[in-house]
Amino acid sequence: MSEFLQQVVEGVGAGSIYASLALALVLIHRFTGIVNFAQGELAMISTYVAWQLVASGMPFWLALPVTLAISFAGGMLIERLLIRPVEGAPELTIVIVTVGLFIFVNAAAGLIWSFTVKDFPQPFPEGSVALAGVDIGWSTLGVIGVVAVVMGLLYLLFQHTRTGLVMRAVAANPASARLSGIRMGRVLMLGWGLAATVGALSGVLVAPLLFLEPNMMGGALIYAFAAATLGGFDSPVGAVAGGLVVGVAETLAGAYVGFVGADLKIGVPLLIILVVLLVRPQGLFGRAAVERA
Amino acid sequence: MSGQVKDSPAGEPMTEAFLEVSDLHAGYGQARVLHGIGFSVGRGEICAILGPNGAGKTTTLRALSGMVKGRGSVTLDGTQLLGRLPEQTARLGVAHVPEGRGTFNDLTVEENLRVGAYLRHRRGRRARSERVAVAADLERVYGYFPKLRERSRQAAGSLSGGEQQMLAIGRALMLRPALLLLDEPSLGLAPLVTRELFRIVRTVNEEERTTVVVVEQNAQLALDIAHQAHVLESGRLVLSGPADQIRQDGQVAEVYLGISVQARKGG
Amino acid sequence: MSTGELTMHASRTARWARPLAALVITAALIATPYYFAPFRVFQLTMVLLYAVVLAGLNLLVGYGGQISLGHGAFFAVGAYTAAVMLDRFTTGHLATLPVAAAGCFLLGLGFGVPALRLRGLYLALVTLAFAVFLPPLLKRFEHVTGGSMGLTVPKPQPPSWTGLAEDQWLYFLTLTVAAVTLLVVRNLLRSRVGRALLAIRENESAAEVMGVRLSFHKALAFAWSAMFAGVAGCLYTWVIGFVSPDSFSLNLSITLLAGLVVGGLASVYGPLLGAAFVMYVPNLAQDISPAAPGVVFGLLIIAVMYLAPTGLAGLAARARQGVRRCVEHLRHTRRRPEPASPAEQTGPPQPEPQPLTAPPTIGKG
Repeated sequence: MSEFLQQVVEGVGAGSIYASLALALVLIHRFTGIVNFAQGELAMISTYVAWQLVASGMPFWLALPVTLAISFAGGMLIERLLIRPVEGAPELTIVIVTVGLFIFVNAAAGLIWSFTVKDFPQPFPEGSVALAGVDIGWSTLGVIGVVAVVMGLLYLLFQHTRTGLVMRAVAANPASARLSGIRMGRVLMLGWGLAATVGALSGVLVAPLLFLEPNMMGGALIYAFAAATLGGFDSPVGAVAGGLVVGVAETLAGAYVGFVGADLKIGVPLLIILVVLLVRPQGLFGRAAVERA
Repeated sequence: MSGQVKDSPAGEPMTEAFLEVSDLHAGYGQARVLHGIGFSVGRGEICAILGPNGAGKTTTLRALSGMVKGRGSVTLDGTQLLGRLPEQTARLGVAHVPEGRGTFNDLTVEENLRVGAYLRHRRGRRARSERVAVAADLERVYGYFPKLRERSRQAAGSLSGGEQQMLAIGRALMLRPALLLLDEPSLGLAPLVTRELFRIVRTVNEEERTTVVVVEQNAQLALDIAHQAHVLESGRLVLSGPADQIRQDGQVAEVYLGISVQARKGG
Repeated sequence: MSTGELTMHASRTARWARPLAALVITAALIATPYYFAPFRVFQLTMVLLYAVVLAGLNLLVGYGGQISLGHGAFFAVGAYTAAVMLDRFTTGHLATLPVAAAGCFLLGLGFGVPALRLRGLYLALVTLAFAVFLPPLLKRFEHVTGGSMGLTVPKPQPPSWTGLAEDQWLYFLTLTVAAVTLLVVRNLLRSRVGRALLAIRENESAAEVMGVRLSFHKALAFAWSAMFAGVAGCLYTWVIGFVSPDSFSLNLSITLLAGLVVGGLASVYGPLLGAAFVMYVPNLAQDISPAAPGVVFGLLIIAVMYLAPTGLAGLAARARQGVRRCVEHLRHTRRRPEPASPAEQTGPPQPEPQPLTAPPTIGKG
C-alpha cells in the first residue's frame, strides 16, 4: 500500500510538471483558439537559458526568476513578431507557423548548444521525508511546491486584478472586448508571455529529472496534450487537474502494468487522448465549469 | 420603391448634427453590402434604422464602430470615425451592443459591467474620483435593470436572453457613451421583455442625453421610441424622416413593416 | 464550388499544347532511368515515392484543412507491413502493397473517427502522439520487427525480359504507383469526398447545414491520406530493402508536412515539388550542420505562410500567369491598353487555388 501511495506521489510530482505545460497550452488556446505546437520547444529553450545562467555562476534560485522573466519577454516578442502578422488568417496558417517555430527552435537549440546531453543541476536537497509512512523525495515535494506557488499567483492574477479581468474578457469574447476599448494586441502579448513563463517552469523543473537536450520536451508536450484534452482545452483548472491525473496514470502504468514498462509509457497519453475524445470530447472541465476557475 | 433619400444636412431641423454619415460604403471581402448611404443624427436623438433581413442594418452599425471597414465619411461631433478600429472608436465614446448581445459569458454580471468601464480607469490623482464615479454608474445601471443587481455574482452565460440583453446594454452604458449603437435588441426575446428594454433605452436617452442609433426589424417598436428613422433596403436608404411621419405613412407600414414581419421568421 | 481549382485551367493556350506537354513529360519520365547514373535514378525514385505520401497528405491538409503530424508513422506502418510480410511469410512483393494500403486505411479510420469528432486540432495531437509512440513500440516487438536492428528484406528483381537493372525496375514500379496515386487523388477530389472536403474547409457550419456529415468525411479523408502514406511506406521497403525504427522518427512526419507546405498546399503540383524538397534540401543542409535542416525548414515554413501561402506551386502559377499577361499585352497592345482580358480577371475558374485565404472571420449577421 505504501509503495502504491509512493507511486501516486511520484505521479503527482510528474503531473505538476505536465500541468504547467498544459496550462501554457490552454492559456494560448483560450486567447487564440489554436494549439501552440512550439510550446514544449519554447520551454526547452528557456531551460537552456536557465542552464546557461547557472553554468555562468548564478545561483539556481536567482536563475529561476530571471529565466521566467526572460521567457515572459520572449513569449511576448513571439506573439508580436511571429503571430501578429498572421492574426485573422485561417487556423491552419497559424498552426503551421507554430509547427515551423517548433522545428526552428529545436534545431536552433542544437545549433547553439549542440545535441549532446547536459546535466542540469538539481535545485532541491537530496533525500526524502517520511510522511504517513510514505517516503517522499524532497525533489518531488519541491516540484509540487514550486508549481503550486506559481499556479496560486496566476489564480490571483486572473481573479483579483484588473489585468486578469481584462484577459478573461478577451478570452470569453474578443469582439466585445474590443468594443469595450480593450486593445487586443497587448492582451494577446501578455497571454503569450504568461504561457511562455509557465511553460518555462515546466522545462526547468523537468530538466533535473531528464537530461538537458534539444528533444527533451517532446515527450512532456504529449503528456501536456493529454492533460489539456482531459481537462478541456478551454479550462485552466482542467489543465492542472488533467496534468495531475495524467502524471499519476503514467507512473502507475509504468510501475504496475508489466507490458508498459518504461519505454512504452509514452503510449499512455495517446490512449488517454483517444479515450477522452471517444467518451467525453469536451474534457472533464468543458465550457460550463470554466468561469469558476 | 422610390422613397426619398434625403441628403443629410438638408432635412434636420431640430438639433445640430452630432453623427454625420455620408456616402458610406461597406462590405465583407468581395461582397458589398452598403452602397453609399447618408444620414445624420442630432445630439441626444434616437435614430432607428429599419429594413428587412440582409438590408445592411448590422453592417451599418459595424462600420460606425469600426468592426468592418467602410468608405465614405462618418463623423462624430466632427471627428472622423472611419479608418479606426473598434477599440479606438470606443475611446471616442462609441458603445456598440452587437447583434447576439456579446456578453462575456464566463464572467459574472458585475465583472461584465466592470469590463464595460475599462476605458475609465485612471492612474494617479484622478484614480480615486473615477473609481467613485464608476461605482456610481454601477448603481445607476442596477437602477435601470434591477434584475442585474440580483444576479450580480452569477455568470453572464447563465442569464436568460432578456437579462443578457440588459447586461449588454448595461455594459455599454458603463462606458458613459456619447453614442450608443444597438443591434436588434429584440432578437429572440419575448414581446414583453422587448417592450421593457425599449422603454429603458428611451429613459436612458432622456435622462442622459445619450445619442442612440438602433437597428431593428421590429419596426413598430423602434418607431415608438425613435425621433428619426431610416429605411434601408439592399444597402441603400429608401426612406428617411421623422419617426411619427414614417409610422403614419401607409405605404411604409404595408411594404416595410410587412417585409419585416415575414423576414423575422427566416432570421 | 466549381471543380475549376482542381483541374489546371485550360484557357487560351492552344488545344494541342496540353496533350503535347503530357506526351513530352511522359516520354521524359520514361527515358530518365536510361540516361542517369543509378544513384540519380535512386534519388528520383525517392522523389516519386515521397510524392505519393505528399499527395495523400495534401488531400488532408490542403483540401481538408486538417493537420497530421504523424504521416511518418503511417509511412512506417506501411513500410513495416511490407517488410514483415517479406521477412516472415516470403510473399511476393506485389502482395505487400494492398495489405499495407488496407492496413493504413483502417488504422487511419481508427484514429480519425475519434480525433475528428470535434472541431479543432485534435487530429494533430493524436497523430503527433502516435508518431512519438510508434518507434518504441516497434522496438518492443523485437521478434516480429527485428527491434532496433530493423529488418533487411530482398528488393523486387526485374524480370529478365525487361532487360532492366534493379534501380531502373524500382524506378518504373514507383513511377507506376505514383501515377496511379495522382490519378486516384484527382478522382477523389472530383468525387463527393472532394466536394465535401472543400465545403468543410470553406465553412464548417455551412457545410453542416448542407448535410455534409463533417466528421465522417473528415475521417474518411484522413483514412485515404493515411493509406497513401502506407503505400509509399511499402514502396520505401521495396526500394531501400531495409527498415528500422529510427528511420521513422517524428522528424520524418514533420519533414513531410514541411515539404508539403513549401511545395504548395491544395495544388496539383505541390506534392511533386514538395517531394523534391524533402529529398534534396535536407541532404544539402545536412552538409552545413546537423541542425541546419531544421533551421532551414522552420524558417521556410514560416516564410511560406507569410509570403506565399500557396507554396512553390503557387509561385510557379503566378509566374506563369505573369508571363501570359505579358504575352497578351504584347499581342493586344495596339487594340486595347488594358492587357488582361476580363475573363482572366473575374472568370469563375480560378487558375490559382487559394487554400489559405479564407473569407474574413467576421460573418455577416
